[in-house]
Amino acid sequence: MTFLVLQGSFELGIIYAIMALGVFISFRTLNMPDLSVDGSFVLGAAVSVIMSSGGQPLLGLVIAFFAGCGAGVITALLHTKLKIQPLLAGILTMLALYSLNLKVMGGRANIPLINKATVFSVLEKTVLGDYSKLLLSLIILLAILFLLYLFLNTRLGFVLRATGDNDHMVRALGVNTDFVILMGLAISNGLVALSGALIAQSQSYVDIGMGIGMVIIGLASVIIGEVIFGTKSLLRRLFAAVLGAILYRLIIAFALEIGMPSTDLKLVSAVIVALAMAMPVIKKRLSLVKRKLTVAHHEGSKRPNA
Amino acid sequence: MLKVESLSKTFGKGSNNEKLALDKVNLSLEEGEFVTIIGGNGAGKSTLLNCISGVYEIDEGRVILDSVDVTFFPEYKRSVHIGRVFQDPLRGTAYDMTIEENLAIAFAKGKPTGLRPGMTKKDSLLFKERLELLDLGLENRMNQKVGLLSGGQRQALTLLMATIVKPKLLLLDEHTAALDPTIARKVLNLTRKIVHEETLCTLMITHNMKASLELGTRTIIMHEGQIIMDFKGQERSTMTVERLIEQFEKRSGAVLDNDRMLLG
Amino acid sequence: MKKPLAALISVIMTMTLMFSLTACAPSKAVNSDNSGAKKKIGIVQIVEHPSLNTIRESLIKELQVKGYKDGENITIDYQNAQGDQSNLKTIAQKFVSNKYDLIVAIATPSAQAVVSETKDIPILFSACTDPLGSGLVTNMDKPNGNVTGTSDAVSAEKIMDLAKRITPDIKRIGALYNASETNSVSVINNLKDYAKKNNMTVVEGTVTNSSDVQQTVTSLVGKVDAIFSPIDNTVASAMPVVTQIANKAKIPVYVGADSMVKDGGLATYGINYDVLGKETANMAVEILKGKKAGDLPVKTMKDMNIYLNKDTAKAIGINLPDDVLKAATQVFGN
Repeated sequence: MTFLVLQGSFELGIIYAIMALGVFISFRTLNMPDLSVDGSFVLGAAVSVIMSSGGQPLLGLVIAFFAGCGAGVITALLHTKLKIQPLLAGILTMLALYSLNLKVMGGRANIPLINKATVFSVLEKTVLGDYSKLLLSLIILLAILFLLYLFLNTRLGFVLRATGDNDHMVRALGVNTDFVILMGLAISNGLVALSGALIAQSQSYVDIGMGIGMVIIGLASVIIGEVIFGTKSLLRRLFAAVLGAILYRLIIAFALEIGMPSTDLKLVSAVIVALAMAMPVIKKRLSLVKRKLTVAHHEGSKRPNA
Repeated sequence: MLKVESLSKTFGKGSNNEKLALDKVNLSLEEGEFVTIIGGNGAGKSTLLNCISGVYEIDEGRVILDSVDVTFFPEYKRSVHIGRVFQDPLRGTAYDMTIEENLAIAFAKGKPTGLRPGMTKKDSLLFKERLELLDLGLENRMNQKVGLLSGGQRQALTLLMATIVKPKLLLLDEHTAALDPTIARKVLNLTRKIVHEETLCTLMITHNMKASLELGTRTIIMHEGQIIMDFKGQERSTMTVERLIEQFEKRSGAVLDNDRMLLG
Repeated sequence: MKKPLAALISVIMTMTLMFSLTACAPSKAVNSDNSGAKKKIGIVQIVEHPSLNTIRESLIKELQVKGYKDGENITIDYQNAQGDQSNLKTIAQKFVSNKYDLIVAIATPSAQAVVSETKDIPILFSACTDPLGSGLVTNMDKPNGNVTGTSDAVSAEKIMDLAKRITPDIKRIGALYNASETNSVSVINNLKDYAKKNNMTVVEGTVTNSSDVQQTVTSLVGKVDAIFSPIDNTVASAMPVVTQIANKAKIPVYVGADSMVKDGGLATYGINYDVLGKETANMAVEILKGKKAGDLPVKTMKDMNIYLNKDTAKAIGINLPDDVLKAATQVFGN
């Protein structure tokens, strides 16, 4: 694997890790499958590109985050106020976002950012040069990790985690779970949109189809991270999601290096996630088989004396 | 403290399974009163508690808690003043969070859910003290996830969580029913202790007729959505289980053949 | 009683949202004034793209030059599918049910969607690289059905010859394309033939959507001396990132269309989309005058032009040879 491939995988992995953290909040912390991710990702990208074209790349990132929060709020309201199942609510938001995103993009399905300043281009001119993308993304990711960890340890963070576990308990303890879900989905989609915004500025374009399959990639990253790095503490789980996202990109790069056509990559993703999720079951089976063999061995060695 | 006026609740209105769960129930509890409720399956005991706490919306009537009409308050708003322990040991705690964290959330009851730290060192010390009083060794396991605790330990913890901020009303819904006898007795003793120390106004559903007469100061019997017997004081202290059954069958016209209640 | 009510409210909300969005949609409605004399022409485009837009605009202009003005003796209904295949179907059905006199389909997916909807209304496709392979016609000289059009087929051979003039030492070529686009597959097959004849090797770099492009290109640049990408919609939509990575690795990217050169490709030997639009207009005029579409042969462009990008050349450290620069129709960049 060339250095370029390695660097590219890390660059992508770090930015997508932000999305993985967003998916972690909704799927794992709130225990709510939120499929609007595909739409929020593009929303963030679209806002980011439009604002960068207007000369405001940094502001574009900020507004992209809040736009994503808005998408999360819609999904939350569909679920809490209209009692629509979370899965369906997310799909409805994703559908609505498809049209909304096109509106944001002024009717065009693809907008390139040629010769416009991005948050990265400013740094690229400095001594950091080639590494500016890697470093800036890393700084943003670490800042988000820090803030997220702090947030999940506030009162709101505590009830957010508890709501995913047992919402009955949270309501019985005097907390408005509708509000908690609203906050949770808002932050989750905000992070996803921010990730999309960074990707768009990194690759200098936004395409209406670039969000397709994002939620699956996010889930795969979180799951791979959990299986490899464990779920013992909250901090560990946050890091696991991040490392899972980076590892996912490395696996794809590796598959491409050994010549696998990208059409097979989705199959690879599916297999990896299936394996990761089956790991606890596989481990159990293996230990059971081991015990059976040990018992059979003992029986066998006892018999001659009988 | 608690006044329930003409409370009615029907499930499945208009369908084949329509059931009148509560039929114009009237109930009044004084501050500090400890009331036990007993009754057969489908008598409406749990429904009554759920209507008081706001889990179910009521069809008719009013619920007044400490002179405040909470009839139209959503569940979480009422919960600020109500403590609950459920029958299912899994329902009162967040299994993926630690004992400390669960207590922290309970301790924040009534306070605004903002960005203040969820738990401080001071809080942690307080929790340790309270856990020691439970006498279950939980104070040494504060950093462990609740999922690792046994049913009885969970119920004890839920009880503590329900009372760590003194509630105006404590609702206990057969909270020892899912536990084995030794643990159940321990939790019941704990209940008696906490209710007595804090003089909590308590409504406890139990399936155990003996316990219903031994604990608390007043006993209510429900049948088919109505309160058919309600006694306290002298009448209660001289009541035996046999007489209770006799009275019940006379008043309700039904045979009390609920094994759990008779043998439990 | 709450569930049905909630469901009803959500359905009403969604439909209201739908109606309000279609009300704002930028589409030109056809006048309900059916005065018989005006011919109705429906133009369907798969996505907003400079090359495709150029075709449409020059087609409309040339029609006007030939005496067919929108609003006077013809009405033009232009619909854009915004990259969504299911929209194409809806648009095609609308054109057919409104009994248009002529349908112009720009790009292969648009043409494929329309062709399956009608065998009567004449269909004129434009910018379809491989009409035979895409199933649009069975015979390029006498299509015989109701479909004909103009093809923007490029010659992989000619592009590679140009490539050899600019960077003579390339031996391993990376093929960057979306294998599900029939327009790309035929050109790539030509590339493979050329490679065989010229002692070169082709390394496959297929992508399924624009998100795959970044990592696929990163993987390719370590294995090849040059990248070749035909007129592929997926790659074209991600051209900025292709350029970023290829330039960093100092790998030349030879493409199939002038718009891709504008977006950062090094060079192409391609067609002039303005001329393509004009040729399509000429065929449209013949059909409007009464000729059967099936009798008109599919037109491929004979005149090809050289397009170059100076900035890209500079970024990868290549000096564009003088004779190539002189022969170029357009050189992008500063």
